[in-house]
Amino acid sequence: MALAETLATPEFKRRALSGAAAAGRLLISVFVTILGLLALTFFIGRMLPLDPVVVILGDDASQESIDKLVAKLGLDQPLYIQFATYVRDALTFDFGVSLTSGRPVIEDIARVFPATVELATISLVFGVLIGVPLGVLAAARAGTWVDHTIRIVGLVGYSAPNFWLGLMGLVLFYATLGWVGGPGRIDFVFQYDLEIWSGFYLIDAARMGRWDIFGDVFSRIVLPASILAYGALAYIARMTRSFMLEQLGQEYVTAARVKGASEARVIWRHAFPNIAVQLATVIALSYAFLLEGAVLTETVFAWPGFGRYLTTALLRADMNAVLGCTLIVGLIFIGLNLLTDVFYRVFDPRTR
Amino acid sequence: MKDGLITGVVAGALTASAAWADTPPDTMVMAYNIDAISTFDPAQIGEVVTNEIILNTCDSLVEIDPADESQVRPRLADSWEVSDDGLVITFNLNPDAVFPSGNPVTATDTVWSMQRVLELGFGNSASLTDYGFTLEANDTQFVAIDDHTFQMTLSKPYPTALIMQAVAANRVANTLDRVYLEDKAVDGDYANGYLTTNTACVGPYKLVRWNAGEVVILEANENYYGPAPATKRWLMRHVPEAGAQRLLLEQGDVDIARDLGSEDIRDMTGTDGLEFVSARKHQLLYMGFDSGQERFADDRVRLAFKYLINYDALAETVMAFDGVPRNSVVPIGAYGALDEEEGQPFSLDLDKARELLAEAGYADGFEARLFIGSAPYSAAVAQHVQANAAEIGVTLNIEQMANAQLFSAFRGRDFDTVMLGWSTSVPHAHGMLSRHAVNPDNSEEAKLTMFPTWRAQWFRPEFNEKVEAALFEQDVEKQLQMYRELQMDHMNQGPFAYMFQTLNKAMIRDDVEGFSWNAFRVYYSDAVKG
Repeated sequence: MALAETLATPEFKRRALSGAAAAGRLLISVFVTILGLLALTFFIGRMLPLDPVVVILGDDASQESIDKLVAKLGLDQPLYIQFATYVRDALTFDFGVSLTSGRPVIEDIARVFPATVELATISLVFGVLIGVPLGVLAAARAGTWVDHTIRIVGLVGYSAPNFWLGLMGLVLFYATLGWVGGPGRIDFVFQYDLEIWSGFYLIDAARMGRWDIFGDVFSRIVLPASILAYGALAYIARMTRSFMLEQLGQEYVTAARVKGASEARVIWRHAFPNIAVQLATVIALSYAFLLEGAVLTETVFAWPGFGRYLTTALLRADMNAVLGCTLIVGLIFIGLNLLTDVFYRVFDPRTR
Repeated sequence: MKDGLITGVVAGALTASAAWADTPPDTMVMAYNIDAISTFDPAQIGEVVTNEIILNTCDSLVEIDPADESQVRPRLADSWEVSDDGLVITFNLNPDAVFPSGNPVTATDTVWSMQRVLELGFGNSASLTDYGFTLEANDTQFVAIDDHTFQMTLSKPYPTALIMQAVAANRVANTLDRVYLEDKAVDGDYANGYLTTNTACVGPYKLVRWNAGEVVILEANENYYGPAPATKRWLMRHVPEAGAQRLLLEQGDVDIARDLGSEDIRDMTGTDGLEFVSARKHQLLYMGFDSGQERFADDRVRLAFKYLINYDALAETVMAFDGVPRNSVVPIGAYGALDEEEGQPFSLDLDKARELLAEAGYADGFEARLFIGSAPYSAAVAQHVQANAAEIGVTLNIEQMANAQLFSAFRGRDFDTVMLGWSTSVPHAHGMLSRHAVNPDNSEEAKLTMFPTWRAQWFRPEFNEKVEAALFEQDVEKQLQMYRELQMDHMNQGPFAYMFQTLNKAMIRDDVEGFSWNAFRVYYSDAVKG
């Protein structure tokens, strides 16, 4: 059938209309969510008993100076006008200037976000590569000591505070064994040498062909990434086990076994593909949580990332930075949820 | 590339300990929580970390003498003369001083730099307005006589020593590169935006990098007119967590750790290769009371709280390495301060506290909120006070909050009791008394939020007069006696219960020599690795 004929068929038109309507609904839903997020962050920010004007001017500032700055920042305007201004600026990613760093918030986020993305991505890779096979193994050996061991290991990863794990990891692997680098993203001897191109130090070092810097950066990221990965893998393994147990109880699995398929084939070729979509959601959520910022891990490892930036901003009443970061976190969750939805629609025919 | 990758990872992973064995001999590496840095504009800086950095990168007219913090010594000004009436101070600037831009340092730069402090009106302008300088008189109070002669005219004959400490040695007297900065100004901001992330001044070091929340790097100024710094580079690594600072110091990856906890210091004291150093700050940890409430308006109630604290026990435990007991409003080391014994008359005495409350009509006690901030020792000290207060029937409900929130509540007079610290930048009794004993106008409309006395709604006109009289007393003996009496009266009637004078503390590697500091300065240029 020619393309023109295909496009003219009522069936295609119906599908196209249906798709457009779904996309429209999705866009409206995203827009409303973002607007809600903006409203929530803005009004919570205004309700907090913190005074950004004093943070800028200092504790000794006179009331006259305070009044002038309040007017300059528009804080004397009615709330709805302040909100409208905030939405207008936020839609262009203009979050104002950070009181914490003195730079535009968006520049700060662009600076700290790669540090967190680099850490979170490596953590997620570790978490998925170890967590998924462990979850599958636990399901396949459900009720045995293997299952129990994996569940206990997962439980520890799920419940042990990262702060404590981080410090213990530093004491053992950095201070005692000397296997990894200490706190910080890069050793100071390389501080001058690394040309920041992407903000991802591993990539920047590789791009320069400076493998000594690459090694230093890697030796510093491996421990915090492993600790974060431990928490992520615990979650991924638990969920994988749960999904797999459900699938392994299905009739089609019994049928495959009756037909003589090997256990490995039953698991990896028959059952596993059926949990892929659910697993994608779990992995996406894990990534979102990692990106949101592992504040305590970043604190212990002196990691100049997003989570610590947000926390510092909050403690210093830097509301521009807090609102900007909150919006970015919201957008990450919305973006990853959207991605998961799309993934579902593509790979799961029941959702179409 | 693959080979390089493998080599890099293996080298990084397996030789980590060797790679970080020692810091370079020409670089001093310091682990420091530098989160507070938000600007390098001397007119705006309002916290200790950036103040420490700016005073090593931007020279003021004079500087506090490292050997005696009550004295000043020449810096950008080689010498100075005071007129007979004490109203005019003439500074002779060093003619060899040159900014990094190549522009010569002139008296016009000093005039512009000090005028902009008042024009911008940040909190630091109080360092000038407190001594009679005003925006209106900006053109006459700071004058360039010629390129190297700067004149400061006072509105009253303030003690010269005080003006030198409070103004001439302060960051408000940092001389900035006017010619260079005028090009950087935006919308009449006097280059405040540019100076947020840069410096443009002359000092032993120059700021070469600030990655917020990561690192500050200073390099020696090779064209410095003064003595060349002993160490070529200072690198401040942002390490917010005390445990991580300790590990870095023990491994030799840093030379100095500035934010260790008391427990860490206790453990490390006596360790080979490490040395503990401390210096008293002119900062007091105190409890404030809302005298606008009837119960706290009674002197006896506030006085009772001073008997609820076991100062010595706290000094040996919670406050070990963090502070020394102090009840006087004037810190030890300041001109006019009571000595250690006289300045610490209170001790734990629950019977006395109970008796005072009963006399005030609160024999059955009362309930009040106690707001505290995020200092590491705040919660423990507050719990100590809470437990003892409970013994005399007073229920204190502790609410811990971020410091910004605490300050907002205090400034807004929205508290019952509060625990926090107050620093003065002047080693002189007037530095504290001018804020903690003086309240020019207690009315709500006055909004004198810069006065803790106003925040606490404590208003005693006689204290205002006595502080003013002591300030201008020419007879030294008489003046010291006046300050003594003011402190004694303030201890019994004042709005606050002072508990500890806090300490600057650091653990350094023993190959660091000449690490010199006092309450007001850390002298980076004196320190060197042996």
